[in-house]
Amino acid sequence: MPPNLRLSRLSSSTFLSSRRRFLQLSSAALSGVVLSNCAGNLAEVGGTESSPTSGSAVGNATGTTGDKSTLYVYSWTNYTDPELLRDFQSKTGIQVVVDNYDSNETMLAKMQAGGGSQYSVIFPSDYMVTQMVELGMLTELDQSRLRGLATLKPQWQNPSYDPNNAHSVPATWGTTGFVFDPTRLPGEMRGWDYLFDNQAQLTRQITLINDVREVMGSVLRFLGYSFNSENASELEAAYKKLVELKPAIANFLTNGWEDQIASGDLSVSMAYSTDALSLMAEAPNLKYIVPESGSSLWTDTIVIPKTAPHPDAAYEWINYFLNPENNANLVSRLKFATPNQAAFDLLPSELKEDPNLFPPEEVLAKCERIAPVSEKITEAFDSYWTQLTSA
Amino acid sequence: MSTSTPVTPATERSSPDSSMQQRLAKLVQPLILLAPAGFWLFLLLVIPTLLILQLSLVPGIRPGQPIQGFGLGNYLEIFQPIYLRVIGRSISYAIGTTVICLLLGFPVAYWIAVLAPKRWRNLLLICFVLPLWTSSLLRAYAWITILRPTGVLNSLLAAIGLPGQTWLNRDPAVFIGMSYSFLPYIVLILYASLEKLDKRLLEAAADLGAPPQTAFWQVTVPQTLPGIAAGGLLVFITSLGDFVVPELLGGASSMTTARLIYNQFLGATRNWGLGSALSILLILGVSLAIALLIKYGDRNADGLV
Repeated sequence: MPPNLRLSRLSSSTFLSSRRRFLQLSSAALSGVVLSNCAGNLAEVGGTESSPTSGSAVGNATGTTGDKSTLYVYSWTNYTDPELLRDFQSKTGIQVVVDNYDSNETMLAKMQAGGGSQYSVIFPSDYMVTQMVELGMLTELDQSRLRGLATLKPQWQNPSYDPNNAHSVPATWGTTGFVFDPTRLPGEMRGWDYLFDNQAQLTRQITLINDVREVMGSVLRFLGYSFNSENASELEAAYKKLVELKPAIANFLTNGWEDQIASGDLSVSMAYSTDALSLMAEAPNLKYIVPESGSSLWTDTIVIPKTAPHPDAAYEWINYFLNPENNANLVSRLKFATPNQAAFDLLPSELKEDPNLFPPEEVLAKCERIAPVSEKITEAFDSYWTQLTSA
Repeated sequence: MSTSTPVTPATERSSPDSSMQQRLAKLVQPLILLAPAGFWLFLLLVIPTLLILQLSLVPGIRPGQPIQGFGLGNYLEIFQPIYLRVIGRSISYAIGTTVICLLLGFPVAYWIAVLAPKRWRNLLLICFVLPLWTSSLLRAYAWITILRPTGVLNSLLAAIGLPGQTWLNRDPAVFIGMSYSFLPYIVLILYASLEKLDKRLLEAAADLGAPPQTAFWQVTVPQTLPGIAAGGLLVFITSLGDFVVPELLGGASSMTTARLIYNQFLGATRNWGLGSALSILLILGVSLAIALLIKYGDRNADGLV
């Protein structure tokens, strides 16, 4: 074989082998990226919670579970903001890491699966408090360590979901309604009947909350039944009504519709009043209504799970929330209704008189609290919800 | 690539005694080498899978309930029409994505491997792989920005006087998002396959009077069939279990098996038994696809998969 030919073959073979190595390397790198993506996705999409270390920590959180100087809070999306975490840390020296969930059931599932053992503070809603107490998941609160329970409004002194606030401290309350841009909807939007009457024009223009009890309950209410109906045929009627509306439903979202409704991609979103009012502070063209047929009236509370690694810090957190000035500041920033009379008194009058934030009595009279239902009916709710979301 | 350097003859001629030792070493060495990875796999793959299998055999178990009684109830529940519909939807998403990826990926891989100048090939491949370095979540959100009714695409369409699309929250968005996610994989694998294409056969086909189209179908495609199978199956497997794209882009009528499983564990409807049974089914489906991949896939491209 002539030497020059051999040389050229050699070089071409090294060229090829180097390309093959590149391919192998890049595919290895690729699979690494893919794997890390998967992990990231699970953490991100999983009820919009993120891993404690990547949560919105103030300062440089060390991120180790059970760290004495760090309090892990598991909350709905709109109950904390960076300013709250900064202020809490400057007043107590405790760092806070917040993870979010978007439905009570998601939170319960995670706690029951043992995935929430780092949390010392959770914000379950009323009926979920009852359920978690029955499941023996909540610490009985030492009320001598709480300052300011007496300033709660009378109707929250001894709530039916948790007598004497033995396990929970009411933190926020509100309604569930519809947020929309009135200029996009011809006629007057007053509730569910508008959606059913105009659904031909609303194809994929509506989002509903991703929560079985809220959505099914609100339709039950529209049909003249109770949010907490235990009657199978009533549940079926509500389910059928929702199936009828399905072509108009773009998605089931508890959060994530805000952008789309503000930009005009959606016409109507079912929303918790807190989320709707926060958005309306930025997009004043939007309007919030409680459906004419009534909505749910919810109270979100602060509880300490039995597994809490840092209960002392959790008491600090509750006391911070009960403090009237802190609470009034939070209401101004985060737009939730407060059950705290002393904090209410400190609010500026435009907030006190905002009918969306603190609805008048005649609206509240139409609303109903969601209460736990029997195991059998829970399964029926779940089954209809699966049918609705899977079809 | 076998170079024609003279091969040195076997260096050691071993005595029977040391050959015993060698044989022992041959047995033990791989065990030692595999032990860390094996332990890892056992702890994080085999045990969890067995736990899922166990849960899947407890009918209707929900969190907080004790395990009592085993049975096939969960698997029978899957045969309800609604769940079959979800599984069917997952499969059709996966098949659709595979077809789209093949149709889009083959010309690109062909161009990079055969037509583009050699010195550009690595760079072109890198360019194609580059999008994978961002989070798939981010890419899905980018597609929301593009596809939403008031988004980038509709602004462009309106600018050139075309009617707008309403693909977001529907199947088209899912296909777009998934194809975009998995296209780089199939391009890499098809590239590896096409790179080995024997161009002399194409020349021979041309010499014998075959028009390019015939040569492509009679020569190129059969030669790259293993690569097509490997790439197609890889895309099928990954899209079958995809969670992010249907969740974010698919809207209210895009429930897939992966989303349904998620809902049974962390969503509104908590039914661990059903979720586990669905998981096992998905694992079986994917395993079947991988078995096909091993049997029919491009053996020489295996290093890539």
